[in-house]
Amino acid sequence: MIEIDRLSVVFGGIHALNRVTVTLMAPVSGIIGPNGAGKTTFLNVLSGFVRPAEGSVRMDGLELLALPPHARARAGLRRSFQREQVVDEMSVEDNVRVVLDPIRLSRAERARLLDRALDYCGLTAVRRERAERLNACERRMTELARTIVGSPQLVLLDEPGAGLSQGEVERLRQVIAGIHAFAGAQTLLIDHDVELIQAVCQDTMVLDFGMLIAAGPTADVLRDARVRAVYLGMEEGTA
Amino acid sequence: MAGQIHLPTAPSALSASAVLPVAAAERAPVNLSAFLVLGVLAIAVPLAANTLWLKVATGVMIYSLTAMSIAVLYRRLGLVSLTHVALMGCGGWVVLRLAHGFDTPFEVNLLCGGLGAGLAGTALAWPALRMRGLYLALVTLMAAGAYAILINVTQFPNGGDGWLGVAVRAVAFMPRPWIALSDQAYFVYCCGIVALGYALIGWHEATRAGRGWAMIRRSEAAAMSVGVNVTLYKVWGFALSGFLAGIAGGLLAGDLQFLDARSFPAAESVMIFALTIVGGAWHWYGALIAAALYRLAPAILNNAGVDGNAAYIFFGLALIQALATAPKGIAGQIAGLLDRLARRGSQG
Repeated sequence: MIEIDRLSVVFGGIHALNRVTVTLMAPVSGIIGPNGAGKTTFLNVLSGFVRPAEGSVRMDGLELLALPPHARARAGLRRSFQREQVVDEMSVEDNVRVVLDPIRLSRAERARLLDRALDYCGLTAVRRERAERLNACERRMTELARTIVGSPQLVLLDEPGAGLSQGEVERLRQVIAGIHAFAGAQTLLIDHDVELIQAVCQDTMVLDFGMLIAAGPTADVLRDARVRAVYLGMEEGTA
Repeated sequence: MAGQIHLPTAPSALSASAVLPVAAAERAPVNLSAFLVLGVLAIAVPLAANTLWLKVATGVMIYSLTAMSIAVLYRRLGLVSLTHVALMGCGGWVVLRLAHGFDTPFEVNLLCGGLGAGLAGTALAWPALRMRGLYLALVTLMAAGAYAILINVTQFPNGGDGWLGVAVRAVAFMPRPWIALSDQAYFVYCCGIVALGYALIGWHEATRAGRGWAMIRRSEAAAMSVGVNVTLYKVWGFALSGFLAGIAGGLLAGDLQFLDARSFPAAESVMIFALTIVGGAWHWYGALIAAALYRLAPAILNNAGVDGNAAYIFFGLALIQALATAPKGIAGQIAGLLDRLARRGSQG
């Protein structure tokens, strides 16, 4: 369970996030909003890359803001980036193994967790290849495998479908929808693809100019008149 | 739900290129061919070279260790350090001080020299945590300049009394290791130490440290997001790099059996860094090429009756060429050529 209380971020007098208070309990929660709404800033605060002006973030009771970024990762917070961050000169399995490196595990357990994550993301056949040889979808899957290997508690995905074809997004949808069953982790998903959000997110929160304007079951949120006006560009009463 | 997800059948870079061989030199930073080449050199050079060229070849071996210590920082962490000749000096100072003051075995002194320079390298990591690129280069250059002034004031130990161990009149020479008293044996000894240096770097790069460094080079944010402690890993990188440079300094002290403070100006750190880029920081033999350019090229020119300093003009041109057309240096070009030949061979 993710409990966010009065979270504010100020950049030079502008509120990138303004007293956002929300509790996220669904296996997969979506975050939507227009460009500049504060979605990535929200993930950056959770990851520890941006220090908030006020507020608190608790992950299963653990106060995240007290921890440095790498300690949050070790506590089970994982994320992917808008621009994928796969290391070209490393093999696919080393790109994933790096997450397990700081965790105390037996060699056998480490190998088992790695095999399982690679297998789940469909990367077993290419595990020993250098990442520079992968296509865009395989690179995204490598980054996803990194977020789910081991024992993640919360997985933050920032537009994982960007640049992928329709067929690839469908595969991605299957992977994201299965993260909770696979690893027991909650997922927060940012994406502009409303169909993807509808398909995988049980709950959704909507940000606009740093303010939380709606949160709740995805279907209800997407029917909300204000959400339709500010994000979906539809007036009240339009289908 | 936790079953395997099958990847889409979209055009895969792998499906097209899986049959193509990866350049062997790029598959791993260090491989068996490094040890093979060093083994051949260790046998052939003492047999073929006279005293002059043996001295030059020993210098090449020693500076290849320095070049590889620079390359590991640049390749893995993307950090530019212009202070490695000063770190060599630190290692050399410790080795000379222990040898003259305590009569300890050369290997113990060498290890302590490496650790001393590693400690100095760790101190350099402090600015590296806050800056990179040009600013870090300038800070490390300033450190090299400060070292040059300091060592010119204190001088290297040469068997004198006191903490600094500097004698003005009765200068003593440091004994070499008992297994490498002759120039030939000392060259082989240096080849062995360089091989150990390659093994140490190869081990680091293939394990947790190498993966953490690669993530940091990709992006510090990405590194932190996978649990890499960026501070620790940068300090670790600088300590390893300083350790190797210190070992090189100790070997230099063993080769000459003394060190001259005037041989460690800050400009030499800039030169050896530039040649590491020209030689190629991404391949194991780049360090050997860099060291050969640094020590062998001037000697060849001198031997041909041309002032060895003329090599610096060629180095400048080579650096421009490397930056403009070959970012992976001469070694990268050789690897590319070998790769093309291998492809042609597999197609034919």
